[in-house]
Amino acid sequence: MSRSRVVTSLLAVVIMIVIQTTVFGAAGIQPLGVAPALVTLIVILVAPFIETEYHVLLGFTAGILVDLVGSGTLGLWAMTLTIIAYASSRLRTRMAQSPIAMGAIVFGLTVAGQMIFVLMSTIFGQNTIAEPHLLQKIFLPALWNLVLAYPAMWLLKRVFKPTERGWAV
Amino acid sequence: MIPSSGRRLDRPTILFIALVIAGFIIATFDVRSESDGVTNVLREGTQSVFTPFQKGVDLVVTPVVGFIDGISNIAGLRDENDRMRTQLREAEAQLREITALEEKVTQLELINGLEIADDLITVTARIYASGTSAFDNVRYIDKGAKDGIIAGQAVVDEDGLVGRVDLVSANDARIRLITDPLVSVGVRVRSSNETGIVSGRGDGPLRLEMFRPLSSVYEGDLVVTDGSRFPPGIVVGLIDETADAEVGFVLRAAVSPAARLSQIDLVKIVVGWSPIEAATDGDEESTTTTTTDGSTTTTDGSSTTTTATDGSTTTSAGEGEG
Repeated sequence: MSRSRVVTSLLAVVIMIVIQTTVFGAAGIQPLGVAPALVTLIVILVAPFIETEYHVLLGFTAGILVDLVGSGTLGLWAMTLTIIAYASSRLRTRMAQSPIAMGAIVFGLTVAGQMIFVLMSTIFGQNTIAEPHLLQKIFLPALWNLVLAYPAMWLLKRVFKPTERGWAV
Repeated sequence: MIPSSGRRLDRPTILFIALVIAGFIIATFDVRSESDGVTNVLREGTQSVFTPFQKGVDLVVTPVVGFIDGISNIAGLRDENDRMRTQLREAEAQLREITALEEKVTQLELINGLEIADDLITVTARIYASGTSAFDNVRYIDKGAKDGIIAGQAVVDEDGLVGRVDLVSANDARIRLITDPLVSVGVRVRSSNETGIVSGRGDGPLRLEMFRPLSSVYEGDLVVTDGSRFPPGIVVGLIDETADAEVGFVLRAAVSPAARLSQIDLVKIVVGWSPIEAATDGDEESTTTTTTDGSTTTTDGSSTTTTATDGSTTTSAGEGEG
């Protein structure tokens, strides 16, 4: 396992945060009023390329960054993306089996991530569960992530290919 | 580590559990510290790292997004142009009526002791980034402490109240929108002069709560700030549906925000107003005290007026300006 892959993944997370807050920000592109969850997407998609331990750490770091740039309670996205990273690591072989499986995993884990966050933030007193349009905010990012998953995976394969052959197991 | 089933946990699983626990501890710490102190420093530090990149991307993206919007709307532009010409003619006629009405409103507001939010000192700022998820109700602006911005100040646009300043660094600041559940605003319903509290629900209409109101609120009633925390008279929104007090105690109603929060680009931060100074000014302007015998005493800084129960009044010079 190359450390450069972990660093590249972390860089990808930072780029996704910048894109999420600008390109897909409030005045940017928001199809049907909700943007994709890009950081969740990248955390899921790097699963085949890095070891589980590094992947879980990457999920936690990505979550902390999202928390720090966002407005919610610190640690909520960290917990959420740690869980998503761990789950996607466990599903990496299935993800590599077929594009349909990958799409299903991206959609399912994004929905799971949004739901875990809603649950966590409600437990920590933010009353997110009572927000209007909650279902839209849970399912639409998952749908956009599903659409973006294929070009993003193609890009990641190209980025990771020159450094090492084969996917992590 | 050996679980009860006897199967060993692998290292990634142990790390996973440890990190989830760490996240839980961090969240608890953040809630207990009320997002103050260390966490605020961390947030400011992280944001200052991201700001140059966000501004750079925003600089490139904004014209492109605007161009795409323009292209997608080009078919409807001609019809819109005709419609706008008609509207302009109507608006010019309405403007003449409004000017006359405004004079009447100003006179009525003076009579009723209402204040209007005008002549406020503001700083114009541009929004360059928003929150990281669909559940974030924050925006980042390109003005900060160097421009006189401090946490708690009101943020407005041409339509009304947008939110309040939440986090400030030297050159940038974060604003929390009025739709955020953590934001509550003291308001007054213009038609009835009743006061209440409007709070965000994360998205969509705001929630208005009034305690023991003497009258109902009606659909389309204008809701403005009451001057308790933000300058008085800033438009917050319009009442969505007519509502009565429940069992004569609490009145709850939905309020549509006047500001188009999903489209804001430029905002104004009200820097020249402080609730403490306003309260002091207000105290100097007029203080009314009701005594046990039913008489009232009104002090306006320069004189004291006492109204007895029989309706007779006596006026004396105050200490201030004698």
